[in-house]
Amino acid sequence: MGMSDGEGTDPLSLAEIEALGQAEGRQGGLLGFGHPTFLTTKVDFVVNWARRNSLWPMPFGTACCAIEMMASAASNFDLARFGMERMSFSPRQADVLICAGRVPYKLAPVLRRIWDQMMQPKWCVSMGACASSGGVFDTYSMVQGIDTIVPVDVYVPGCPPRPEGLIYGLMMIQEKIRQESLTEHYGLREENPSLVGRPRAGDEEVEALAGPFGNSTQQDHLSSAAQTTRPERSEDLLP
Amino acid sequence: MTEKILELPESRTLSEPMLINIGPQHPATHGVLRLICELDGETVLKVTPDIGFLHSSFEKLGEYRTWNQIVPLTDRMDYLAPLMYNCVYVMAVEKLMGLEVTERCKVARVLCMEMERIFSHLLWLGTTAIDVGAFTPFLYAFQERERIYTLHENYTGARITTSATRVGGMMADFPDGWTDSLRDFVKTFPKTLNEIDSLLTTNGIHLGRTLDIGVISGEDAINYGFTGPNLRASGVDYDLRKDNPYYDYETYDFDVPIGGKGDCYDRYLVRMEEMRQSLRILEQALDRLPGGPINVADPRVSLPSKTDCMNDMESMIHHFKLITEGISVPAGDCYFAVEGSKGELGMYVVSDGGEKPVRWRIRPPSFVNLSVIAKLAEGHLVSDLIMINASLDIVLGEIDR
Amino acid sequence: MADENGSAFDAVEQGPEASGRNTEAPHGGASDPAEHPSVTALQGRFDSAALRHEVQAGDQHVVFLDPGSNRTVLAWLRDDPEQRYDLLVDVTAVDYGGGRPLQIVYQLWSVPHKRALRIKCELPLDGLSIDSVVQLWNAANWLEREVYDLFGVEFRDHPDLRRILMPQNYAEGHPLRKDFPLRGRFSRAEQTRRALSQDYHDDYTPEELEVGGAPGLAPPELPISTDEVGDAP
Repeated sequence: MGMSDGEGTDPLSLAEIEALGQAEGRQGGLLGFGHPTFLTTKVDFVVNWARRNSLWPMPFGTACCAIEMMASAASNFDLARFGMERMSFSPRQADVLICAGRVPYKLAPVLRRIWDQMMQPKWCVSMGACASSGGVFDTYSMVQGIDTIVPVDVYVPGCPPRPEGLIYGLMMIQEKIRQESLTEHYGLREENPSLVGRPRAGDEEVEALAGPFGNSTQQDHLSSAAQTTRPERSEDLLP
Repeated sequence: MTEKILELPESRTLSEPMLINIGPQHPATHGVLRLICELDGETVLKVTPDIGFLHSSFEKLGEYRTWNQIVPLTDRMDYLAPLMYNCVYVMAVEKLMGLEVTERCKVARVLCMEMERIFSHLLWLGTTAIDVGAFTPFLYAFQERERIYTLHENYTGARITTSATRVGGMMADFPDGWTDSLRDFVKTFPKTLNEIDSLLTTNGIHLGRTLDIGVISGEDAINYGFTGPNLRASGVDYDLRKDNPYYDYETYDFDVPIGGKGDCYDRYLVRMEEMRQSLRILEQALDRLPGGPINVADPRVSLPSKTDCMNDMESMIHHFKLITEGISVPAGDCYFAVEGSKGELGMYVVSDGGEKPVRWRIRPPSFVNLSVIAKLAEGHLVSDLIMINASLDIVLGEIDR
Repeated sequence: MADENGSAFDAVEQGPEASGRNTEAPHGGASDPAEHPSVTALQGRFDSAALRHEVQAGDQHVVFLDPGSNRTVLAWLRDDPEQRYDLLVDVTAVDYGGGRPLQIVYQLWSVPHKRALRIKCELPLDGLSIDSVVQLWNAANWLEREVYDLFGVEFRDHPDLRRILMPQNYAEGHPLRKDFPLRGRFSRAEQTRRALSQDYHDDYTPEELEVGGAPGLAPPELPISTDEVGDAP
């Protein structure tokens, strides 16, 4: 849509769309380029309505949050009324990845692989404190927030969050979808194929996201009575 | 009733076997478990579980926390029966300290532990039924679990991560009307349990999926370290509540179901009956719940009352020291085990006199139970492997810690 | 009032029984072997191997064994009809830190006699190697693997001594040792990168990789040359 005559079948880049829009003037006619117009907003409305009311969640449940996710799907809280009753365990058929529970480093490539296998359009909910930031587990084996590995759209805090909390988070995803626009890169997430299987961000950002804070900064004292050998290498000492 | 499809000859198989991965992300593995299966068609030649996908270093974390600060960590291991873990941890520390809790606290902890046994078995029931293909018991079981969630929430404020115990007692006494709600639950729960029973116990499909699947003899079970309902289904009468009783369990009137053959169906029957027996214990405990304080008035662990703190310098300092430094546990080590919902749940705490443990070891029943799956599943079909995995009632949070 | 707590200040003054200022690993108080029949029998039969006996937490009997003879003594404990410790409840290790020896702890339970016993073997930090007891109790298989993974203790004759909880390519050491920092040795970015670069070949034992000629694990070598085009299949 929005292609002018015989320009080839490659999708236009955002810059090219912008340039076209400016060449044609801001009115743009019914089929605008680079900015929403009457027809595109109507198409957006329908597409977004369909997408957000039939999300198929991919439950990547690991620990206690997974139990609350199951409770959300059960009769008392019932995700089915949001169109999410069909929990898709195959990432190929899923829309929303709900990462519920703590993710250790051993599980990190699995999570990344599942995310990579999901088809566009896709969103990610990080449910619980452990998935969002590592939670109580600032240790050698725990990923300090899955946003170091996959791009996250909504963070649901709690340990574990109540089913109402998860539902609120999913409603935020629905709200996010409602505001999307097909004119912006077809409403799809910008993805770089070279990042498949790699961390989501570079080293500095991962360090910033995974740095110790709060109680974690005091977690270096063993029993005052225990005599231990202090780590000798300077890089093992905490800042 | 299925029999083994293929007898394994010495020369292996006719066709080439293949290596298939089940998990770690899979709806039927009850957590992040990876099963590496060597298959000949649909028959399992060998299965190797691969664990560690939920390793959260609880034991290491415990070494950096004071004794009471470890209690919130205990809920997150077996998230299906959090109060059970809360209780067994503080029971181990109290034994090491030589601390005797009040009568009310003992009965309260028995109430909590039996309630958690039902709680955990209900989730096992729901998920096992789903693995067999029955979706309705899952919904019924979760509806009953919601009632226990409400009980948790009314008592501690949290649905799952309760953190209800402290060394020397509980975080607080039961709120008004809580025991009445629990009594209500005990009265009305058998109806749902009977409904689920009627759906599954004599159901031909369920019988076909579970009879003679995953058989293990009593001797082998003990050698492989099985404990709990899995062991009792194989005919071994070992229940810590009867054999090494704690908290006056010898004075409660209840039976321990023992299975005959050691297959999946026996494990199912044992757990169903255990839920009924837990209801009996709950009724008796509710009847005998005494009054009195829930926390023991031992200066080593219990905080002085606020009135005393405001009027009395010594109490103020005592309170201050207990809060800032934490309690001190005398040097030594202690292994304490209870009959958990999944098996023998033990905690081994080692102290050197300080306010943080030197070592906190959890003896997880599911860890040892899962290692037997290789022996149980050999020669069965892949679908039987899923059923065997479900019947073992594992929880990965406890296995990987 | 303050009375029901005693004088609160006294309790604070009392403090713990033993302060950790001494260099020995803590051990329990006076012990009476006669209270536990297995301990008496063990001390009688294995005089040289049973180094020490103590009682912890009031009534838990612990026997320290010479690590070289753990398999012999444990086999006797399992098989002797008076002892019959047929259930191996737990195998674990305790690192006290400060250069003190590592203790391997065996927790045993006898189902027929309904008795518990704890056996400990102390290993020097530069000789972390002990016989495996998998031949006696299959339960020890995974339990010993875990001790190997988290403490670095080698169990001789163990059928499959690999890491069990940490990833196979874990290079930071053995986490539960006291000289291992809580957050690990590498930076978070490095840990993330290493985690995501786990090679799936590491997850399988060599025997598993041989299964079925390992067809699916490595892509077949395809001819690249454009000159030699073979016949159509």
